[in-house]
Amino acid sequence: MLVKNTFFALVVSSFSVSASVDKTDWTPTPQQFKYCTVCHGNQLMGNPNIGAPRLSGLSAWYIEKQLQAFKQGKRGMPDQSVPAHEMQSMVKELSDEQIHQAAIWASKTQSPVPSETIVADAKAGESLYKQCAACHGADGKGNQTIGAPALAGLHDWYLLNQFDAFKSGSRGNVQGDSQAQQMQAAANLVNSEQDLKAIVAYIQQLEKHEEHN
Amino acid sequence: MKQHFSRRQFLNLIGAVGGSSALLKASLAMGLMQSNDFQGPVSVAPVKGKNKAKVAVLGAGISGLSTAYELERAGYDVVIIEASFRAGGRNMTVRHGDKIDEMGHTRYCQFDQDENLYFNCGPARIPGHHKRLLHYCRALNVPLQIKANSNQLAYIQDEKINGGKPIRQVDYRADANGFLSEMMSKSIDKGAFEQQLSEEDTENFLSYLKAFGSLNEKGKYTGSDRAGSQRDRMLFPPTPKAPMPLHDVFKSDVWRGVSFASQIYDWVEPLMEVKGGMDGIVKGFLRNISSPVELNAQVRKIHNLSDGVEIAYEQAGKLNTIKVDYCFNNIPAYFMAGIENNLSPDYLNALNKFKRGHLFKIGFQMRERFWEKEGIYGGITYTSQDNAQLWYPSHDIHAAKGVMLGAYCWDEKQCARFEAMTPEQRFKYAAQCGENIHPGYSGYIENAVSIPWARMNNQMGCGIHMEKEDWEHCLPILQKPDGRHFMIGDQISQHSGWQEGALAASQQALSQFNQLQASITSSHGAAYVS
Repeated sequence: MLVKNTFFALVVSSFSVSASVDKTDWTPTPQQFKYCTVCHGNQLMGNPNIGAPRLSGLSAWYIEKQLQAFKQGKRGMPDQSVPAHEMQSMVKELSDEQIHQAAIWASKTQSPVPSETIVADAKAGESLYKQCAACHGADGKGNQTIGAPALAGLHDWYLLNQFDAFKSGSRGNVQGDSQAQQMQAAANLVNSEQDLKAIVAYIQQLEKHEEHN
Repeated sequence: MKQHFSRRQFLNLIGAVGGSSALLKASLAMGLMQSNDFQGPVSVAPVKGKNKAKVAVLGAGISGLSTAYELERAGYDVVIIEASFRAGGRNMTVRHGDKIDEMGHTRYCQFDQDENLYFNCGPARIPGHHKRLLHYCRALNVPLQIKANSNQLAYIQDEKINGGKPIRQVDYRADANGFLSEMMSKSIDKGAFEQQLSEEDTENFLSYLKAFGSLNEKGKYTGSDRAGSQRDRMLFPPTPKAPMPLHDVFKSDVWRGVSFASQIYDWVEPLMEVKGGMDGIVKGFLRNISSPVELNAQVRKIHNLSDGVEIAYEQAGKLNTIKVDYCFNNIPAYFMAGIENNLSPDYLNALNKFKRGHLFKIGFQMRERFWEKEGIYGGITYTSQDNAQLWYPSHDIHAAKGVMLGAYCWDEKQCARFEAMTPEQRFKYAAQCGENIHPGYSGYIENAVSIPWARMNNQMGCGIHMEKEDWEHCLPILQKPDGRHFMIGDQISQHSGWQEGALAASQQALSQFNQLQASITSSHGAAYVS
């Protein structure tokens, strides 16, 4: 250890330490999950520089399912994307109970809605989104009964990445996971990059509308 | 797929990971940076009046520690907030029992409990012109010793040459110099320089070439005793080895890459290292700083206010918010997008242009210093295999055991291959690579550590960089404060990945701080002249 007890005893005496300004919105990070916020950021707000998606706003059931998919090698194998594999190595050593707890905590976090990074025709996206709405809901909030996650509130760059992953088969190509396979099939119905971006731009707007309510 | 050394890889490492001299010139012209003749650290304007100004330093790496040290000496009230369980950042030396906090693969160093058995996971060498760092080593009483960085008796191992068997660097050197000299001699005979050279000049030049390349009387290179002898040269006349095929000498990427390593400015010899491990510098700062260092404290929020900065950090599940007058931020720039902040859009945009760098190291504890039996005392073997380099320790010669570096990769693809493995898989792979250089290598390995900097907790990279066009535009923005918030760290220098770069950034920010202080004080009617 480089730093010995010398400094631990010193409380930031001359610095007035106050309770947080935004305490009402703030969910503490459990000690065992402090690694998560290194990449996913404060309140799991996401960090495009690391390729880490925003997780606040997702449902616990979906987060748990995905963490299990990482653990079981259905997502994030070395031949897939680098951030996905980085995620896999984080989850590999977690127990089922830890995964369960992590999902509950993540679903409680609250963070600002991400701003758009993609310029596209959200209006055109609105009609294209209708085919997605059947599963993910008109409001983009998802549907647990059929295993469709919320899309509203995810970063647009992340939605694009995942869409590409489904399309290329690096995600969703899992035997026995009919929901993932269904999404893979759906991804192949979108033909152009332009359409895809329009859909993503529309999804971005959903959460914004929600914020104004 | 194997990666080969390229000169580009070398140049990338020399801190040139992004960067341009045009920008440096611009910075000099703006008076932001000192020219090369460092005269001592920036003298920080001392605290005036009764109320000590408060400063938060985010990150206890070399840049943060030196900033805190200078501010504290000038009378400021400083707190250092560090996300990791330890101070030092990438200045990290591991010994028996130390935690290696890799994301997803936490391990503990299993080296024997012996002060000689340590591994410098980050910076490991200091050239004599890194004056800022050497200033602090002197000021903080950090003992230094000479470190052999190059060793002519160490190897080049190139899978394309000599059936993949290693060749001593001295053999390459003798043959390359010999062939070059012979070719030059022949070109002179053809009269290429007749216009410029007198007969006497030509004779002198030829004689120099003969000496340079060890040519015979006829100006031919036929091998040289500079590369040793095939028989015991103490008892028998030297019998030089036959030269390697000319084709092989110049074909080797590895050899080409390292031929001039010791002529690269940051590696000009002699180099130095800290006695007992590079973290002696961290310990030196900590001995001389009384400001609190808050460990295990992740910064959650940085808000510029009109008269200060509000910072929130989470420690043991508790959110602490402090208000300070100034903030010096050493956090890797790519993390800023995950920290709530109100920095200006230009400033944030510049921060978001930074990309994570990849560097990978392995340290092996060897039961015997087998390399010394091969006549290798310190220095580096270079290889075309994924492990890229082997470093032999210069310290504790002839001790029973030693820790040597078993891989040091700068190439992103090589790093990615190691990063994707578990530590145990990495050790096995690097051991196999080592076998092709030193037969029996694996058998000497007692235990190991691996440091993929792009996977280390709270770092997620080393050798941070930007696209060149972005760099020229963004660095000047980040070398100025945004409100009362200053960026520091090697990231805000032209020498990413070097402690000297970290210190230069800190010094640069402190001189900006003096200017800001002066303008604030003068606007209150009590001018401070720095």
